[in-house]
Amino acid sequence: MSDKSLVHSVYDGIEEHDNHLPNWWLFILWTSIVFSAGYWFWFHIAEAGPDQLGEYAAESAEVAKRASGSTPASDDMLLTLAKDSGVLDSGKQVFQANCAACHGAQGQGLIGPNLTDAYWMHGGSPMAIHRVVADGVVAKGMPAWERTLGAERVKAVTAYLLTLKGTDVPGGKAPQGEPEQL
Amino acid sequence: MHQQRIIYDDTTVRRFILASVLFGIVGMAVGALVASQLAWWQANLGIPYTTYSRLRPLHTNAVIFAFVGNMMFAGIYYSTQRLLKTRMASDLLSKIHFWGWQLIIVAAAISLPLGITTSKEYAELEWPIDLAITVIWVVFAINFFWTLAKRHEKNLYVAIWFYIATIVTVAVLHIVNSLALPLSPLKSYSVFAGVQDALVQWWYGHNAVAFFLTTPILGIMYYFLPKAAERPVYSYRLSIIHFWALVFIYIWAGPHHLLYTALPDWAQSLGMIFSVMLWAPSWGGMLNGLLTLKGAWYKLREDPVLKFLIAGVTFYGMATFEGPLLSIKSVSALGHYTDWIVGHVHSGALGWNGFMAAGMFYWLVPRLYGTKLHSTRSADAHFWLGTVGILLYMVSMWISGVTQGLMWRAANPDGTLLYPNFVETLLAIRPMYIVRFVGGSMYLVGFVMMAWNLWKTARAGKAVDGETTIVVEPPAPATEPAPASAPKPGWVQVVTGRPLIFAIAILTVTMFLGWAQPVRALVLMGAIVVLGEFAWMVTRRDREAGRPSWFGLIEGRPLAFTVLTLIAILIGGVAELLPTIMLKQAVPAHGQAQAPYSPLELQGRDLYVREGCYTCHSQMIRPFVAETQRYGDVSRAEEFIYDHPFQWGSKRTGPDLHRLGGKYPNLWHYTHMMDPRATSPGSNMPPYPWLAEQRITVKDAPKKLALMQRLGVPYSNADVDGAEVRQKAQAEVITADLATQGVQVAWDSEMVAIIAYLQRLGRGPQDLPAPPEKAPESPGRLPAATIASEEAR
Repeated sequence: MSDKSLVHSVYDGIEEHDNHLPNWWLFILWTSIVFSAGYWFWFHIAEAGPDQLGEYAAESAEVAKRASGSTPASDDMLLTLAKDSGVLDSGKQVFQANCAACHGAQGQGLIGPNLTDAYWMHGGSPMAIHRVVADGVVAKGMPAWERTLGAERVKAVTAYLLTLKGTDVPGGKAPQGEPEQL
Repeated sequence: MHQQRIIYDDTTVRRFILASVLFGIVGMAVGALVASQLAWWQANLGIPYTTYSRLRPLHTNAVIFAFVGNMMFAGIYYSTQRLLKTRMASDLLSKIHFWGWQLIIVAAAISLPLGITTSKEYAELEWPIDLAITVIWVVFAINFFWTLAKRHEKNLYVAIWFYIATIVTVAVLHIVNSLALPLSPLKSYSVFAGVQDALVQWWYGHNAVAFFLTTPILGIMYYFLPKAAERPVYSYRLSIIHFWALVFIYIWAGPHHLLYTALPDWAQSLGMIFSVMLWAPSWGGMLNGLLTLKGAWYKLREDPVLKFLIAGVTFYGMATFEGPLLSIKSVSALGHYTDWIVGHVHSGALGWNGFMAAGMFYWLVPRLYGTKLHSTRSADAHFWLGTVGILLYMVSMWISGVTQGLMWRAANPDGTLLYPNFVETLLAIRPMYIVRFVGGSMYLVGFVMMAWNLWKTARAGKAVDGETTIVVEPPAPATEPAPASAPKPGWVQVVTGRPLIFAIAILTVTMFLGWAQPVRALVLMGAIVVLGEFAWMVTRRDREAGRPSWFGLIEGRPLAFTVLTLIAILIGGVAELLPTIMLKQAVPAHGQAQAPYSPLELQGRDLYVREGCYTCHSQMIRPFVAETQRYGDVSRAEEFIYDHPFQWGSKRTGPDLHRLGGKYPNLWHYTHMMDPRATSPGSNMPPYPWLAEQRITVKDAPKKLALMQRLGVPYSNADVDGAEVRQKAQAEVITADLATQGVQVAWDSEMVAIIAYLQRLGRGPQDLPAPPEKAPESPGRLPAATIASEEAR
């Protein structure tokens, strides 16, 4: 192809040929242009596809459907779970990964309060603890965990917390809140 | 008719090469250091000036502007003189350009570790340095265009086109993105806020890649590759198409850095489709490089120069395929904020820029010193070390990026996050951080070998300046008027050129597509196809008839060429930036997070900027369930309207922080800043203990509020006057809270200010009465205005 007749010009000794454009290159060029025109037409002119918040709404609905199988927590259920060693193992794992940094590896309290004493800031009943874990206490800097961990892991970690309750780990943080009213 | 001897100014070229190699070593060494810090946090050394978040901007700026910048200037000065057969117009301007640029680099190297930064990526330098850059760039431009004016070669070679595009576009990008209001000689605030600032920044950021790291290097490729290969350039018409397509399309692609953010959908889509359309034009450049070697591939075996240049062009091809791929929204959803992007930019920076630089240096230095390269074997070793280094780097970052992206979104069968703890996803990729450090270090070792080799080469010879002889013809008045055919004046030929008319016609029709009804849009698209077809037919007929091409005409007229290039790059910028900036009012001006920052929060925000938190943390939650589960509600455009500058970030080495406010107690933040691993075991975040010691400048608070007022943030004069009192009051609430937990910090310590800022993220100012009950925030249905509470105060 690069025969002498194709020489376009010469600059500082650099010859410039004028070969044809390779067909496969032209194919990429035109395909990408046609794709782009089609994309713009589909999403922004015909508005046939969802925008990003539309996609998000659909995804949210899908995930909500998947999560709907979960039974709501109750005192009895949590107390039963607190005797299930499988649940307690997973609860302990969740605790070590997410809670130990603030409440200590034994729940003795560091940044957050001691979970092993008899004092509770928001109530010590199974459901009271569950509510604090699930929804958090924004004013005190306790994160809401249900959105991140999901309902099952919140139940498991609550069950695990019920087993820590009253273990009074030595060297624990000074009590905060009220003694539990039984 | 007489002969004229021209001696080229090669001293400037030698200087730029020396500077490029030296700063290249520095920039890459800092890169290796920050890479090691991600693998081993202890490498932050516990002092502010060597902490990752301050050094990362130093690394990027040094590599882009010091290493590639100086390399580019060396290549431009060398090739321009020879392609135009004239010495650079002014030795003085060349000198000012060289020394001015080096001073700017030194200023950057000092100011960035000190935390003097605007936090706009690759534009972190503060306003006095920005002004200096503008001045030096103008000096360069004058010198260059003046040289064009006194050239002895009528038409401009394709390399020169790329240099013109570089000079014009970088000027526009730099000036617009640097627009800021100064508070002091070392601190300024972007005039843009939130979404607008993000769009302007990434219009700049992406085109810094395009017009600083790509177009000048393409020009250099067009000169040095055929020189080194002693082969003709493959195709002139490919040059035309890929040049004009590149300069026109590139500028639109910036929003692909903001896919699935709070940027309006239409702008995101433009960013995506123009990035997809960039694939072919980019590969046009690659093809013209690779096919230039047609029939001479055997030369690759013996010549290290060609090895580097061809590998460089190949990496360019890889990076410009990966770029459009990453710009597809669904791919970006996975890759954005991960190391995949880091790997992508390094295949460009190390593979394309670094190897093109090495090839050019190995070719140039022996010629600039009238000798042979000291060691070809060393150059070969450099090539293989560098290549293996890049591959280790890219592959480790692919694995790391895809792994982390998948882990972030991985879900249990019930739809909950499989890896709810962010640190888990970080620990999974740590081995890759070590591999990356090894790969980058290998590349650096190869580069140092090159420095040694070039030094030995230079020492063996002595500086010689190139020269040429031209034949100067006396002006020939007889041939000029040619009354019989009476050609139209040149400028009329330029503006009535068929390609231009067709381009304008097609663009005009395309413009209406923006807001057409579906049926009308189809008609318009049909019209575009017909116009295009017609243009193609006419062009072909003209070519077959042997009529002089319009492109040939403008290639002989630098002014027309420059103006057309400027217009080509302005169209995309204006089309995307103007509506976004003009439609400011369209952003709903209510919502909880809408109240301006309190004085203390503003001070804390400046510390967040100073420490470079944005280098590892985003503040932009994308509309995916996996993100809202992990971080909270989707971020919305109206939440950022007072963010001068925006802090959306581009990388999540750590988690997103947009909804951090109220998530943890103050003590958590204190503990975490002092020792991140105390609250987040396994984290690689550097500690920031100096925040507890250093004090904020209390008196700056009213000044900052007054400046924000001038930028349009609705502070009342009473707010400004009362800023110091309010600042202290908010700080004391935090210190009192910390004191109850046994932590004593001064109320005016930086720690208190940054905690105040972090506690405010994603919600209203924390020292004002809580607003009325927050309605469930679904997009489109926003809670009633709470700005009133700010005014009523």
